[in-house]
Amino acid sequence: MPSRTKKTEQPEDASMEDVPTSAQPDQETGDAMQEDEFAENGGSGNGEEEEDTVQRVRILPGSSPTAASFEFLEEGHTLGNALRYIIMKNPDVEFCAYSIPHPSEAKMNIRIQTYDTTTATAALAKGLKDLEDLCDVVADKFWTERNRFTEAGRMESD
Amino acid sequence: MAPSSGRVPEPESRKTVGINKETVSNTVSTDFPDNYPDGDESWDKDWFAQNLKIEFHQNDDYEAQFSLIGVDASIANAFRRILIAEIPTLAVETVFIQNNTSVVQDEVLSHRLGLIPFTGGKEGIRDWMKWWHKPVEGADQYSTTYDHNTVQLKLQVECTHNKDAAPDEKDPTKLYHNAHVYAKDIVYEPAGAQEQYFSGDNIIRPTNPDILIAKMRPGQVIDLEMHMHKGIGADHSKFSPVATASYRLMPVIKILKPILGDDAKKFQECFMPGTIKLEKVTKQHVKANKEYAGHEGEVMAAVDNPLYDTVSREVLRHPEFEGKVKLGRKRDHFIFSIESTGQWESDELFLESIKTLKTKSQKLQTQVQNMVYTYSG
Amino acid sequence: MSREAYQIPTSQGAGGPGAGNAAVAGRAVDNEGLPMLYICGDCGTKFPLKRGDTIRCIECGCRVLYKERTRRMVQFEAR
Repeated sequence: MPSRTKKTEQPEDASMEDVPTSAQPDQETGDAMQEDEFAENGGSGNGEEEEDTVQRVRILPGSSPTAASFEFLEEGHTLGNALRYIIMKNPDVEFCAYSIPHPSEAKMNIRIQTYDTTTATAALAKGLKDLEDLCDVVADKFWTERNRFTEAGRMESD
Repeated sequence: MAPSSGRVPEPESRKTVGINKETVSNTVSTDFPDNYPDGDESWDKDWFAQNLKIEFHQNDDYEAQFSLIGVDASIANAFRRILIAEIPTLAVETVFIQNNTSVVQDEVLSHRLGLIPFTGGKEGIRDWMKWWHKPVEGADQYSTTYDHNTVQLKLQVECTHNKDAAPDEKDPTKLYHNAHVYAKDIVYEPAGAQEQYFSGDNIIRPTNPDILIAKMRPGQVIDLEMHMHKGIGADHSKFSPVATASYRLMPVIKILKPILGDDAKKFQECFMPGTIKLEKVTKQHVKANKEYAGHEGEVMAAVDNPLYDTVSREVLRHPEFEGKVKLGRKRDHFIFSIESTGQWESDELFLESIKTLKTKSQKLQTQVQNMVYTYSG
Repeated sequence: MSREAYQIPTSQGAGGPGAGNAAVAGRAVDNEGLPMLYICGDCGTKFPLKRGDTIRCIECGCRVLYKERTRRMVQFEAR
């Protein structure tokens, strides 16, 4: 078992954490992840709550640096399909798909498998950034076009 | 980043969804890297900005129609879903009934009041009003109610006999006073700092004052107070800022072989008015397409504006047009129609939808950075 | 909002707070002091009724009477 920073007792019932272990070699915090720009904390999962926000993204067990599944809370098809499309546009991504495990729960799983040139987490982060850029471009063009249309309408009626 | 010049746009055949007599073909988008040997389909912000086109067709206050060209269905759908479900609006949430002797039951009346769309000062509603949260178990019911998160409204109507009515009068609106209770009878009561934001032209009022809430007869009274809060459509559809927001794909009509004479007239009638125009065959037509040779001066059918077509596929039902026409839709051309209920203007709504998607991705980027690695044992 | 928490009616008729009001024990009043009216089923006249009175309309003698709607405030979620 990887060492946990919290001394809390684990409940007696089997949780999803105890499910058959991944076939990937056991890694503490993973040297492969050193390449990542993002700092990652080792230790137990959702015990720590930040000041205002609850952690809404986590990596599901059984993931490796290039093949990972992520779970988003309080998200659905709105973000899932859009994010999947953008991530698939990344040439370093071999596979990307999303699913909603059960419609009664607001959880969205997204699986990303990448080639060796990048990691799954990096692809996810890039996907989110690209989606943000896309929104900027659309908003800009939309407002410009809308102003142009209103002006044209005003000039016509004058 | 790959240079944006030298990149070839997707060929028309790949961008068209085929509409056949009983099937629809080529529906899935395939614009991903390594799917095709020609052209690079990876994400490029500048290439996207170059290709993106927006064309407005109509921009009234509460109804807008525009075309979004160059995005994928998943993105357009995300905008549509956010428009319906995730843009905050004010709506009646709690109804305090002091007296209701009308035939409309309390809960039915409350439900109807919740569905009435309201409008008011934009700055107040969007920037100043905050969210209301239910008080913690055990705390006072009104401990979380403040002027910056609650709007108070009153509805007090009593139905009485009209002594001045004609003796043989049958119409209840003339026989009685206040027999019909309309949304315009709802009175806004400003509280605290609300006067600064919601006065004059900006008062909180129903968008459609003529909505009929209840009918009464003499002696019946409705006396109630309402509290409005902010909410989103995902919680309850009364909070949805759009009557509805929808999009359709731009139809494509291709005339493969000449359609002349009476056939041309029949062809025009198979489509909505404005889609097909009738022209006379001229030398230019013959030059462009040899099949028109020998038919100069005859009436021919040509595509005018496919925007008006509703893709009823009527044309495919007639054997005389078999093989002469091909129907389809452009996969990346979305004609949005946004009908607002009054709290936002339609164009502002779409912008807000884009902003919401952007905020979502920004917040998740931070979350991904803080993500914790969880390995099973 | 008119008054406080709902008081469970007892067979003695609010014996606790009403202990000192022997003089008003016979009147059928609600907490606010307004008389409680009953509505006749046939003619619609409103009239008060005390405990022990015969259940009959004073105008038409109809024996089906309806109680007035409560004056307490009721709260609903507009959903």
